Amino acid sequence: MNLLNRFTLPAVAFSLALGSFGLAQADNVKIGNIEPMSGPSATLGQQGKAAREMAVEEINAAGGIKALGGMKLELIYADSESKPEKGVAEAERLINTEKVHVLTGCWNSAVTYPTTAVAERYGIPFVVPVSVSDKITDQGFKNVFRIAAKDSWWTKDQFAFLKDMQAEFGTKVEKLAFVYENGDWGKGFATQWKKLAEEAGYKVVLDEPYPSTATDLSPVVQKIRRANPDVLMLVSNAADAILLTNTIAEYKVKVKAIVASGGGHADPSFMKAVGKNAQYLFDIVEWETDVNKPGAKEANDKFKAKNGYNLTGEAVDAYVAMYVLKDALERAGSLEPAKIREALATTNLKDGPGMIVGYDAVKFDATGQNEMASPVIVQVADLGKGLERVTIWPKNARRAGYTPVFPITK
Amino acid sequence: MLYIIEDMINGILMGSIYGLTAMGLTIIFGVLKVINFAHGSLLMVGLYATYWAITLTGIHPYLALFMVIPAMFVFGYYLQDIVIKPIFIAEKNVREPITVIIVTTGIWYILDNLTLLLFGPQYRSIPDNPLQGQMFEIGTMFVSAPKFYGFLTAIVTACAIHWFMQKTIMGRAIRATSMDREAASLMGINQYRIYNVAFGIGAATAGIAAVTLIPFNNIFPTVGVLFDIKGFIIVVLGGLGSISGALIGGIIVGLIESVGPQFMTATWTEAIVYGLFLLVLFVKPSGLFGQKHDW
Repeated sequence: MNLLNRFTLPAVAFSLALGSFGLAQADNVKIGNIEPMSGPSATLGQQGKAAREMAVEEINAAGGIKALGGMKLELIYADSESKPEKGVAEAERLINTEKVHVLTGCWNSAVTYPTTAVAERYGIPFVVPVSVSDKITDQGFKNVFRIAAKDSWWTKDQFAFLKDMQAEFGTKVEKLAFVYENGDWGKGFATQWKKLAEEAGYKVVLDEPYPSTATDLSPVVQKIRRANPDVLMLVSNAADAILLTNTIAEYKVKVKAIVASGGGHADPSFMKAVGKNAQYLFDIVEWETDVNKPGAKEANDKFKAKNGYNLTGEAVDAYVAMYVLKDALERAGSLEPAKIREALATTNLKDGPGMIVGYDAVKFDATGQNEMASPVIVQVADLGKGLERVTIWPKNARRAGYTPVFPITK
Repeated sequence: MLYIIEDMINGILMGSIYGLTAMGLTIIFGVLKVINFAHGSLLMVGLYATYWAITLTGIHPYLALFMVIPAMFVFGYYLQDIVIKPIFIAEKNVREPITVIIVTTGIWYILDNLTLLLFGPQYRSIPDNPLQGQMFEIGTMFVSAPKFYGFLTAIVTACAIHWFMQKTIMGRAIRATSMDREAASLMGINQYRIYNVAFGIGAATAGIAAVTLIPFNNIFPTVGVLFDIKGFIIVVLGGLGSISGALIGGIIVGLIESVGPQFMTATWTEAIVYGLFLLVLFVKPSGLFGQKHDW
């Protein structure tokens, strides 16, 4: 009996697995997702996964893709570990072995950039929820569609914000310090910053790329302290955002404002890990829980109940991406990559479940960039219920009754 | 000038903690003659053990040493006894037990992913940290207090291990095995038990390093990898198997990382550290303080 069990159990499990695999191949729309599930950006990959799952569950529960006879969406994941070569290899595998119809991913711009080239070669549509490096949509590819705003737009908004704040509060900002992770994302931001700073007549007193894998950031913080900037601008992944924020507090670095760029600073574990040290930090994000949009609060409550943390901008992009895909599939009425691609290119998604972003529509321009996307700026503040992120810019989106703290006076 | 002194102090303090993270690696290599690729994961296990010890009991971070050291020793002892020893026995006629290295790589992946499954990918730091942000302010100079305590701990640990290796019977048996395992066996030393003890000590030092790191670092499942790579560089610099070498190798890396950024961007200091690593491999492969083994 014992012996029998030992052999039959795996055999049964194996045949079951094969069986379900065979079924899946015939009946579902396969969406391949390349995300950092482990490694330095694992939390962000997990958020993207949770958001995708919530959207796909909703879509499937509401009857799947009606134009395809109620076909269900199926998510297939691959771990990029935040490594470009891993992303490329996994894209090849998803396309050739798993036979996915669409790809999404990869969060890290450095991974998305080479990985989209694989999709382009095979003619598989690639939806990028959020990887903000400009060059991803500047490659002239036909099959790349990005939901999030690209980094040149983010940086432009950061500078517009600085200008508005100076006018509103009558404080002059002259010296800027740029400190950023030395990957594609950070360097992309910094290039734009330098151009914008020159145009606006700011003096750049520090321009410092650092490795995200650093185990000690006090040398970098010392440089900030000695450069004595008015405003410190940051691009960080998660672990380094925490280390940097704590170290800045330890060395009592005094600046008028710290402006972060989402990513690690928008990670839910960031505020938990740094606590008070995050107070009055400005951060630019695509979405915040206090966004004034029908369905946003409900979606966030549902997400929080399941995962224990709020939806982040990145998670919302992933969530919306699934609805954009659903919309395209409905209009394509086919699983042929070329047809899905055509449908994506003519997307004009304005409402319906899933459209919980702060802006009005998802619409792709000729390069595949969502031309409607635009970020907001928040400030971390304690309004009596512990630290939270309060939307403050643009001014018409500012949470009623909140006056931003600028310059920081702690 | 003051800046340079401030940076050098930070470099020496942080470097000695790097040395402490690498000390277990060098001990295990010295005795087993095996590069332990799971060392970063041992450090990660140490960090999580420290985290839970402090979170659940609310004690001062350094008091956690009394729980973490024995726990990590037992963990390392049985990890070697149950997982690695069988491979050693199977490979006992092979001069270089390469398979063991592959097994340690497997342990690394299993431990990291097990932690990811059990505790999730979140970044954690200890609650109500009494050492959080503590600084000695000397004029305009800042010296991080938790790093200074880490530095003292590293020195004490190195001295304690040195004393243990020189003066105790077990320490002598370990050294005998590291010099010549056949001869040591002929003298009645059970080499596999020595391996267990050495692995236990290596894991325990990773636990000590974890305690010194936790007041100013956050932890996550792959945190070990960050220190792992640095650990390899440090032990090669200092000489594989040398305890004082690990400490000095650590301080060299710490100084480059800390003083370097004043003359270039922080990204470049990484390149310098790796460059130095290659240079040492070319010029003096046994490291600055290593013995000339026949490996």
